[in-house]
Amino acid sequence: MKRRIFEKIAFSIFTLLIAFFLLGIGLYIDLKDDLPQLPDSLEKINLSLPTEIYSSQGNVIKVLGQRHPVSLSEISPQFTEAMIATEDSRFYSHGGVDHIGLTRAMLRNIRSMRISQGGSTITQQLSKNLFFSFERRWVRKIKELMVALQIEATFSKEEILEAYCNQVYFGSGAYGVEDASLVYFGKRAKDLTLLQAAMLAGLPNSPNSANPFNNFERAMKRTRTVLNRMVSSNFIGSLQLQEALETDLELAPHRIQSNPNQYFIQHVISKLEKEYGKEFVHFGGLKIFTTIDTRLQKFAQQAVTTHMKSLDKRMGTREDGETLQAAVVSLENKTGAVRVLLGGRDYSQSQFNRAVSNNRMAGSSFKPIVYLTAMENLGISPATVMRDEPVILQISPGKTWEPKNFNDEYFGDLILKRALMKSLNVVSAKLVNDLTPERVIKTARQMGITSPLGENLSLALGATGVSPLEMAGAYSVIANLGILNEPYLIDRIEDFRGNTLYEHFYFGVQRFSQKTIYPLLDMMRGVVEEGTGRVVRRMGFQHPAGGKTGTTNDYKDAWFDGFTKDLSASVWVGYDSNISMVDRNGRGLTGGGASAPIWTYFMKKALSGKSLVNFPVPEGIQFVEVDSKTGYLSNSSTAKTMKVAVKNDVVLTLPPSTDSIQGYFASEEPDPETNPVPNNMVEENVLPEL
Amino acid sequence: MIFSLEVFGHVIERGVGYYLKWENHTRPQLGRIWERDREKIVAQKKIESILTSLNAQDQSAESIQSFKEVFEKLNPSDPQMISRKKFLQLYFEFPEQLSYKMVSPYELLEIDSNRGWQRVLLTQLGEWVTISFINNQNFPIREVFLSAEGMEGNPLSRDIFKGTLEEAGFEQTAILSIADFMRVMKTLDPDAQSNLFPDPYWFFSKNYHVTRVGVKEIESSDEYPPPVRMGVEYQSDFYTEVLILPVPTDISDNLLSQVEIPVYEEPTEGSSPFGDFEGDLN
Repeated sequence: MKRRIFEKIAFSIFTLLIAFFLLGIGLYIDLKDDLPQLPDSLEKINLSLPTEIYSSQGNVIKVLGQRHPVSLSEISPQFTEAMIATEDSRFYSHGGVDHIGLTRAMLRNIRSMRISQGGSTITQQLSKNLFFSFERRWVRKIKELMVALQIEATFSKEEILEAYCNQVYFGSGAYGVEDASLVYFGKRAKDLTLLQAAMLAGLPNSPNSANPFNNFERAMKRTRTVLNRMVSSNFIGSLQLQEALETDLELAPHRIQSNPNQYFIQHVISKLEKEYGKEFVHFGGLKIFTTIDTRLQKFAQQAVTTHMKSLDKRMGTREDGETLQAAVVSLENKTGAVRVLLGGRDYSQSQFNRAVSNNRMAGSSFKPIVYLTAMENLGISPATVMRDEPVILQISPGKTWEPKNFNDEYFGDLILKRALMKSLNVVSAKLVNDLTPERVIKTARQMGITSPLGENLSLALGATGVSPLEMAGAYSVIANLGILNEPYLIDRIEDFRGNTLYEHFYFGVQRFSQKTIYPLLDMMRGVVEEGTGRVVRRMGFQHPAGGKTGTTNDYKDAWFDGFTKDLSASVWVGYDSNISMVDRNGRGLTGGGASAPIWTYFMKKALSGKSLVNFPVPEGIQFVEVDSKTGYLSNSSTAKTMKVAVKNDVVLTLPPSTDSIQGYFASEEPDPETNPVPNNMVEENVLPEL
Repeated sequence: MIFSLEVFGHVIERGVGYYLKWENHTRPQLGRIWERDREKIVAQKKIESILTSLNAQDQSAESIQSFKEVFEKLNPSDPQMISRKKFLQLYFEFPEQLSYKMVSPYELLEIDSNRGWQRVLLTQLGEWVTISFINNQNFPIREVFLSAEGMEGNPLSRDIFKGTLEEAGFEQTAILSIADFMRVMKTLDPDAQSNLFPDPYWFFSKNYHVTRVGVKEIESSDEYPPPVRMGVEYQSDFYTEVLILPVPTDISDNLLSQVEIPVYEEPTEGSSPFGDFEGDLN
């Protein structure tokens, strides 16, 4: 009887084995073509030349594809023990598959009817990491197992463990134990303490959720689990566990949080990927020399962080938790080199690059482009008188548009310079109406703006999406007295042998005559001195500067774009969801209140210790004082005078009733009889009354 | 029992492992590790192609023989880069005193004074050509702007033609021997001589022997009066070549009047198409 039972069991097992064997052969035949070839050596798998990105000061600011492969002797033994205890306690005894672990995982998976537990050995994980995707499928699992068996048959346990330690992902962008040690603890893998080793050994299983930078408590819990497994695997005793938990972890500062260059770097990478392909950038072993000035970038980050904190307080906490965002771009006028590109408050929180995104309206910061077009095409000057009053403009037959000033405030007659300083919408709308939007768009293109611009009158108020990078570039044309230097981010690219693959050449193009652009520059200086951007002076910024504020409808965007002789900068503040920036008291955030302080803080720091440099005055420009309401040359009876820069050929006159010339220059003797119109504009250049 | 199963399983696994190892080379290079290798190869190929293209540009720039060639190759989408050495070679070695009008040699001395000048970048934008003398940071030390239209009749229109004057399009009737031409040259004042004829040292330095000189009008030109070209034929060690250069407008009328010989009046041997003229062309 016993013998018969034994024979039956033996037969069943034999049949089962045969069945497994046949199943194995069948599977192999089926999967044979999909099984990958193994490399000759596991040492070579980490060899890849890193691509280095440099700042303009010559410092490495990012390394792509960098691996720090180390031999087992250069890894703390406590780390390898912790890893084995956590990931594969029978590593040294199995042949690639841990039957006990696998059976336990299979039972759990069958019970839960899904692949919830892997039961993978270190060899299987290495097999997966080297060859397969991360999707959990049975077929992938079988292939991974077969390759694991081959790895065990080909390489020693030490080679397998070393390869695993060098390529496994530890979170925070760290691949391999050496890189992870540097990222998390700022030290070499061979110098890890027991507690540090245990924390790192717990990361491959959950690199994000148990990441000490993201969730320290969870990371410590995972570390304790690892230490307990080390105890149960007899790698350490309970006393060592207690001692380890009492030591200081000495976690390094989070690299991403303290790196304000990330937006710039990522923009450079994406531009290069688009131009040359991903492989070229990540596997080319390149040296990419960029234009970023990390010192200025840090100032921009500080300016944003400091001012946004005060704005956050003013705005209060929103129900949805959304916070204000900001973007800063700064260019070197002489060359077009982008020195600062900050696409948001914190890259680790949001990777969306607002500095290069053109999804936000420019608002009034677009008006200088309108004014320049008008001065070029309508023959008007900063002293030309405009009437600021409610107006209805004809858009198309039967369709009208009624532009309104900020706060619905109107100033009647005033000169063009004062209109820009006060950022009057009606005046700008009248100019575009007279010019046609097409002409304004042409000027914008000449100034380097490439975003799509709507051919409609609302262009007068900047109802068009532009990026801070474009705005900084356009404003640098004004600072450069009409020369456009295309903004650029990459100076030079070299391969690993030092051969130059790309180099930037400065190529300034005189897009506008100096005589045409200088009056605009002077008007924009007025914005900073006495206009909507006067906060710049109130904050104590001394350098000669020009700029323009911009606030869009319902306070959705706040801009301040401005320049000194050497630097131009554009600052944007707003919500990503494009909602109004209205504080708890119902007051909205404007370009002057939200963005100009950031601009000023940044510029003060950037130009600290540098001497004040004035803008050169081109030949053919005269400075005259005029009545800011009538445009006549001022005299002793003028109530409010304003100094304007106009071309020499602009004829300015004294008021009709004046008896004496007060010493101001006029290119022709004024004659009230023949020159009744202020500024003596020829008839076709006088803007029509609307 | 479990022990024997474990042993049996272990043996099977080993067997499978060794079998797979044995036929490893027959399997395809699939998976991320091989993909990475391929990406490295793609990157290296891209680098090689960029280097090849840059080398070709360098070689092309080095093979340039005249400013005319430089400007012919120039177009708005294709700026030309030449080394300082090449620029100086074209500037001084090619017999183009008129290139001094582009930038004077004294200005070149000044540009070169701080040892920053490395290369010359020529770019065209619309009607304008910019010659940028750039330093090792690629920053222009000096920029010279030339009107593309104004280049006609300037150094840029000088050229070397391989062949004889006749092959270069000069009429037999407007070709003088060097001896006859020199008789005309002697009548010119020194300024007019140097404006008309290249620096003789250039011919001596290259061991070129001037044989004949021809004059022709460019009738296809829209300009009035049509521009005049002079061809100086010389023999090198191996070739006959013609240096073609513009004739300054203030001399061209006088010069043409001296060579306007009716077709039917074939000059006899030894006679000069200038006749017995010995007056001043100016």
